[in-house]
Amino acid sequence: MSDPLLSVENLKTQFFTEDGTVRAVDGISFDVHEGEIVGLVGESGAGKSVATSSLLRLVDSPGEIVGGEVTFKGRTLFGLEEDANGDLRPRDDMLSEEEMRREIRGREIAIIFQDPMESLNPVFTVGGQLREFIELNRDLSEEEAKREAIDMLREVGIPAPETRYDEYPHQFSGGMRQRVLIAMALACQPDLIIADEPTTALDVTVEGQILAMVEELQRKYDTSFVWVTHDMSVVAEICDRVNVMYLGEIIEHATVDDLFYDTKHPYTRALLDSMPRPDETVHELNPIRGVMPEAIDPPSGCRFHPRCPDGREVCREVHPEPRDLAEAGEPTHRAACVKYDAFDVGYDESRPLEADVTGGFDAGLTETGGDE
Amino acid sequence: MGLLRYTLWRFAQSIPVLIGIITITFFLANQIPGDPVEIMLGPSPAQEQVEAIQARYGLDRPAHERYLTYLAGVATGDLGWSIYYDRPVLEMILLRLPVTMYLTVSAFAFAIVTAIPLGVLSAKRRNEPADHVSRVVSLVGVSTPSFWIGLMLIIVFAFHLGWFPARGLPLPWASPADVRGASTQVEVVRTSLYHLAMPMVALGTLQMAQITRIERSSMVDSLQGEYVKLARAYGVPESTIVRKHAFQVAQLPVITIVGLGLSTALGGAVLTETVFEIQGMGRLIITAINNQDYELIMGTTFMFGVAFVVGVIITDIAYAYIDPRVTYGDEA
Amino acid sequence: MTARDPDSPSDDARADGTTTDATTDDSPTHDAAAGSDEIETRVGLRYTLRQVKRDTTARIGIYTVGFVTFVAVLASIDYYVFDYAVAEAVWYSPVSDPEEVQRLLPPVFMENQFGTGVLEHPMGTDHRGRDIFVRLFYGTRIAITVGFMATGIGLGGGTLIGAVSGYYGGWIDDVLQRVTETVYAIPFLVLVIAFMTAFGRDLTFAMIGVGITSIPVFNRLIRSRVVSVREEDYIEAARAAGVKDRNIILRHVIPNSFAPVLVQATLQIGVSILIVAGLSFLGFGAQPPTPSWGQMLSASRNYMLPAPTFSLFPGIAILVTVVGFNILGDGLQDALDPRINN
Repeated sequence: MSDPLLSVENLKTQFFTEDGTVRAVDGISFDVHEGEIVGLVGESGAGKSVATSSLLRLVDSPGEIVGGEVTFKGRTLFGLEEDANGDLRPRDDMLSEEEMRREIRGREIAIIFQDPMESLNPVFTVGGQLREFIELNRDLSEEEAKREAIDMLREVGIPAPETRYDEYPHQFSGGMRQRVLIAMALACQPDLIIADEPTTALDVTVEGQILAMVEELQRKYDTSFVWVTHDMSVVAEICDRVNVMYLGEIIEHATVDDLFYDTKHPYTRALLDSMPRPDETVHELNPIRGVMPEAIDPPSGCRFHPRCPDGREVCREVHPEPRDLAEAGEPTHRAACVKYDAFDVGYDESRPLEADVTGGFDAGLTETGGDE
Repeated sequence: MGLLRYTLWRFAQSIPVLIGIITITFFLANQIPGDPVEIMLGPSPAQEQVEAIQARYGLDRPAHERYLTYLAGVATGDLGWSIYYDRPVLEMILLRLPVTMYLTVSAFAFAIVTAIPLGVLSAKRRNEPADHVSRVVSLVGVSTPSFWIGLMLIIVFAFHLGWFPARGLPLPWASPADVRGASTQVEVVRTSLYHLAMPMVALGTLQMAQITRIERSSMVDSLQGEYVKLARAYGVPESTIVRKHAFQVAQLPVITIVGLGLSTALGGAVLTETVFEIQGMGRLIITAINNQDYELIMGTTFMFGVAFVVGVIITDIAYAYIDPRVTYGDEA
Repeated sequence: MTARDPDSPSDDARADGTTTDATTDDSPTHDAAAGSDEIETRVGLRYTLRQVKRDTTARIGIYTVGFVTFVAVLASIDYYVFDYAVAEAVWYSPVSDPEEVQRLLPPVFMENQFGTGVLEHPMGTDHRGRDIFVRLFYGTRIAITVGFMATGIGLGGGTLIGAVSGYYGGWIDDVLQRVTETVYAIPFLVLVIAFMTAFGRDLTFAMIGVGITSIPVFNRLIRSRVVSVREEDYIEAARAAGVKDRNIILRHVIPNSFAPVLVQATLQIGVSILIVAGLSFLGFGAQPPTPSWGQMLSASRNYMLPAPTFSLFPGIAILVTVVGFNILGDGLQDALDPRINN
């Protein structure tokens, strides 16, 4: 297989707050190949949004990327090395802030944010905002950029784009605004688009339309996507490969088919059981027990063990790194769960966790709100 | 088009408020103890003199009748007669209003020009030394009486350093003949600006401090907005983000504060004019009160109200101009 | 308590105090159903204090305001109980002309054309030879009284109008809002001057006038809270359960507005002190020889060249006091609004 477009290795982002250090993203690795849509799935607070902002180095204070490596088309977006004293410092080949701004953000990697209502500036026309970003990232003249903007608005299905160009965000519905944001991303002709829960704020019918449109445009422009969502049905519809995140870690990685039909990690299993599926008739949905703990004080061992139906004593002590569990010749399928033989840490002999360990989480609701 | 209609509509809307102001001032003036006739004619005037005066100023008629007459007068631009100056009230106001407007508008210009960069800087460098300095400046600014600033400025810059004159405020468009030490119009303008400097700072400091505070907090909010995140993600330079993307949205609350600050500033003008002995509206109302000149009291109070209402309308229009979400009146 | 001319009989104060208490007892807050009120308010208060203790800015504000209030209390004690005895014993009388007047002395360690500063008058003397420090000391009493009273009037009136207006809506709301809007449309210093011309030029009317002009501030605050709270489920529930409207406002809406009102009131005290000082400066309010800061500044105007420190100290007193209330208000806002804490 060719080199990946984007490759993320052991990325760590932490927030230094008064109450302590929040390890929002704690050593995640994944890659994206050309023309692929890669999913990043998890509950609210799993660290998905922080992970995506980290890719563009847009983490706001008190957050900071503290480790790992991000490579895009052979260039180092982020990378640290140890100097003579053993202190970490940016590597020489890491792009400067100015290079990130000029050459990467918008131009190579564009982003679509979650909240279409807030993402557009209320005091500028929609067209003006679109035009500004196109002008900046494609080196076009104002005239050309305007033409391009109108074409793109038409492309994302906005009727009468010439008129709508001069209108303000408040004159657009939520779905229309999200289309504008998608147009914005595509119009800059980046190689990679990060879509951070772009359909979460929309109602289901609009979501369907937008997903269909994105699939069509993705084929047309052959853009790669990192698609962040908490919604497994969106994953099923749009992604090629999926990474499941839990408390700052990727705990399972597989192609979308493998993930749904050969689910390895109990957390993924639980996520799938907690939602209705078109391909199976279920009589009852099973919400995941408890709520996700705070990333400031993650549980020992496997972070999912307090909520895990398969949890054993050993899960409390051993922290599993994801391992490839696929048969030879099959596509990679990594999971981080010690119940698989590949880990060999004595799961089978270990006693199941006492029921009361999870007793504190009897509230038992899966939280799937969009904000994090 | 829409803006013009909006403006007219806003003016029409403020008519009840103006009538309300007249009512309040009329009511207050009516409560004033003492007899203006006595003030004019001395302690023991002749009966026919008293009656003549009373008839002339309508003092022999019942209050509600006088109220309606006064209201009708105001509607036709007749604000009554100043007993003290023995001239129409409107004439006195038109004589004094330009000075007060010159002072107030300059004070606001000073406030806005200094406060906005200070507030933006403060927001950009939140919790850094520049921010702390700016916050202390604005805190002291909102806590200092404007007239005391005036006194201190006079002591330092007029008495000890001799840089600026301590009293008076000639208008820049006054005739050179009326301004001492000036023979050409250029000199008049220069003299006027010299006189303006200290009262402008004294009156403008409070506004400056208030605008700095709101500018800072508004910019802090705006810089955390999703649209700023979006602009950053699309490689917009940070300076453009501050100057354009965050700035324009952040000005909306600032405009509101400027409009409301006009009330304080017009009141402060009374104090500033007293400190610097400037013959403006503020001195006029004090003179009117000290001489129990009823119609002049009503007229000046009314004009202060009008000035504030007009100011608020102007800020509303500015707001509507910047914020596309404001629909222009009629369909709202 | 009304600040007054020092020569007026002091037992008025006690009479005033009793009246205030009586009013509170009659108010609907203290009817049979008041128990829950008190608890909620107290919880709010305790919560506030705890938050304030954690916020450095608020703490500085508390200390400053506490200090100034303490000074005001001391001055009142000396004035009412000892009849200037303490001040007289230490310094010359703040009111009457002493036999040997040393006019316009500079502060201690300084020198001017009238002489050299003496320790007896640490801030020098005024144009009548009275000790500036003592007059500032007594001025604190007036400033603090005026600040609290005027704000109290504004808070009471504004809460009443705002709550009624926001809760009932409709024409009541329209009428009340139009009226407050009109009051607000006259620059407030001008309005207070006109008001005092009509009713009386002394300090009492200054407080009432400033109080009235601050009604729109609290009205707006309370009204918007009431309008938003009105729609909340628990109010609906209370209404469905047959709780009377008046009780809903008193027991739910008002306690819920505690935090923003407290912040606004604290800031408003500072504003009131500034306005009343301005009024006194113009000759409306405390009349000579009452030692009010604004009136001292007014007197100092004629001596700015020979004795500039006469103008300096009263201004600093105002500044420190108002800064104290403003810091406290800002600190309270930070402490009570977790949104800003980052």
